[in-house]
Amino acid sequence: MAVSVAPRTWWSGGSYPNWLRAAGRYLPIAIVVAVWQLVVELDLVDRAFLPSFGETVRALWEMTRNGEIVVNLLVSLYRALGGLVIGSVVGVAIGLAMATSRRADQFLGPLVATTYSLPKTSLVPLFILWFGIGNVTNMLSVMLACLLPVIVSTYHGVKAVPPVIVWSARAMGTPHRLILWRILLPSASLSIFTGIRIALGFCFVLTISAEMIASRTGIGKLIFFYGESGAYAYMFGGLLAIVIVAYAADRALLAAMHYLLRWHDSIHAAHAGG
Amino acid sequence: MPVAERAHAARGALDALWAALRYCYPLLLVLLLWELVARAGLVRPLFLPTVTTVLEQFWVLLFEGEIVAPLLVSLYRAFAGLALAVVFGVFAGLWMARSKWAHWALDPLVSLGFPAPKIAFVPIFILWFGIDHLSKILLVAFTCVFPMIVATYHGAAAVSRTVIWSAEAMGTSERKLLSRIIFPAAQPYIFSGVRVTVPVALIIAFTAEMIAGGGGVGAALMFAQRFFQTPTVFVYILVMLATGLVLDLVILRLRHWLIPWDDEAV
Repeated sequence: MAVSVAPRTWWSGGSYPNWLRAAGRYLPIAIVVAVWQLVVELDLVDRAFLPSFGETVRALWEMTRNGEIVVNLLVSLYRALGGLVIGSVVGVAIGLAMATSRRADQFLGPLVATTYSLPKTSLVPLFILWFGIGNVTNMLSVMLACLLPVIVSTYHGVKAVPPVIVWSARAMGTPHRLILWRILLPSASLSIFTGIRIALGFCFVLTISAEMIASRTGIGKLIFFYGESGAYAYMFGGLLAIVIVAYAADRALLAAMHYLLRWHDSIHAAHAGG
Repeated sequence: MPVAERAHAARGALDALWAALRYCYPLLLVLLLWELVARAGLVRPLFLPTVTTVLEQFWVLLFEGEIVAPLLVSLYRAFAGLALAVVFGVFAGLWMARSKWAHWALDPLVSLGFPAPKIAFVPIFILWFGIDHLSKILLVAFTCVFPMIVATYHGAAAVSRTVIWSAEAMGTSERKLLSRIIFPAAQPYIFSGVRVTVPVALIIAFTAEMIAGGGGVGAALMFAQRFFQTPTVFVYILVMLATGLVLDLVILRLRHWLIPWDDEAV
């Protein structure tokens, strides 16, 4: 959430130490967890439908110790982040080409516009048919899902570069390749990162969906398997793990963006969201 | 109509057609390439049927009612979930922008829930709400509520302080302030939120059906894939594609009609 517009609260005054302020900020999550535990302990809900938080954490701990969660998480992360990296690189290249060349724009524009709204999960059954079950199917669908937001944000970012800057560079004899690297990409970087952040969300969704639809390994498969076999504490444990990982990945990307773009004027104002 | 004018109109229509054709030529080129590759026998029809086969299959399925009925099921789930998410999201977002307590309570939950891949909750929603409509509607709502909260919050928080202060100085009650000033001012943001969330709602509805079955286009797609009916697989993928495209156009029109004072092109 945007820091600048956040209402002042009792813990945001100056007199508290940092750790207490952080604790105050995350207290609501602790309250939700406590309510979850209490509701189960007091038998307000059927234990068959909701394992307690303690049981969930124990199950997660057990799965961590026997390596089950680590192995499957690594498999899923490999697919998700691999697809994300390939999709982002290709997406930036295509977006850049579309923004700088009218012919590329005319050719790729309609293709991007029509495929943008296609749920990429629908391609999973087709890819299974083509490539079988496994990494190729999974990463290809992740890659395609990550591609489009990155193309669009790169395109808009590059289009928003003031032409005066490009003209001045050209007037000073900067070669075309350097204009790309020194001017267009850096100016568009904030927009590109915003696209990559959207793609980061997609990459987890796609990986997990593809694993749930058909897979032998991965965290999605693990959660689905425990759900089907009725081991709900383990199912919740797996889910807890993926929620934490997705949150950490999002924060890590934000931190990386703040570090890499610390020179950018609008980084502090523009990036608080979500 | 005089002849000259009629000719002019005809030429206008012809120009429009030409422009549309020029816009669509990459798509037609891709379809042509697909048809040629499939016809030439470079790949087995099981993997890539010809475009014409897919179109024939589309007509067959359409007349058997295998397209409209599942599509209506999926759309019902997506939009029921979306409606819930919009209502809850707008309330929560406005509340967060107006009350520091609500902000304190909801902000960490939203920032934890927003990046979480909600599709992973499918097994839990099946466990709690069964495999029929309810679990899918609630999963769609659960996914869409976070972007709706964030969009509404940003819209409400962006309302100029001076406008709010003036209204307060003139003795406007909190409720009036919300309904007359903050909500209308936040509408463009809310609408952008809806536009972003509609495809998400569709994706979640389709994907949940693909994973859990229980009717709808997603389930039909998986069923066709399991029996290696590749043309049918392609038909359903194209149906999903067309649904997304048409809905996006409808929403743009709706935006223009509902909030004509805002010409933002997000």
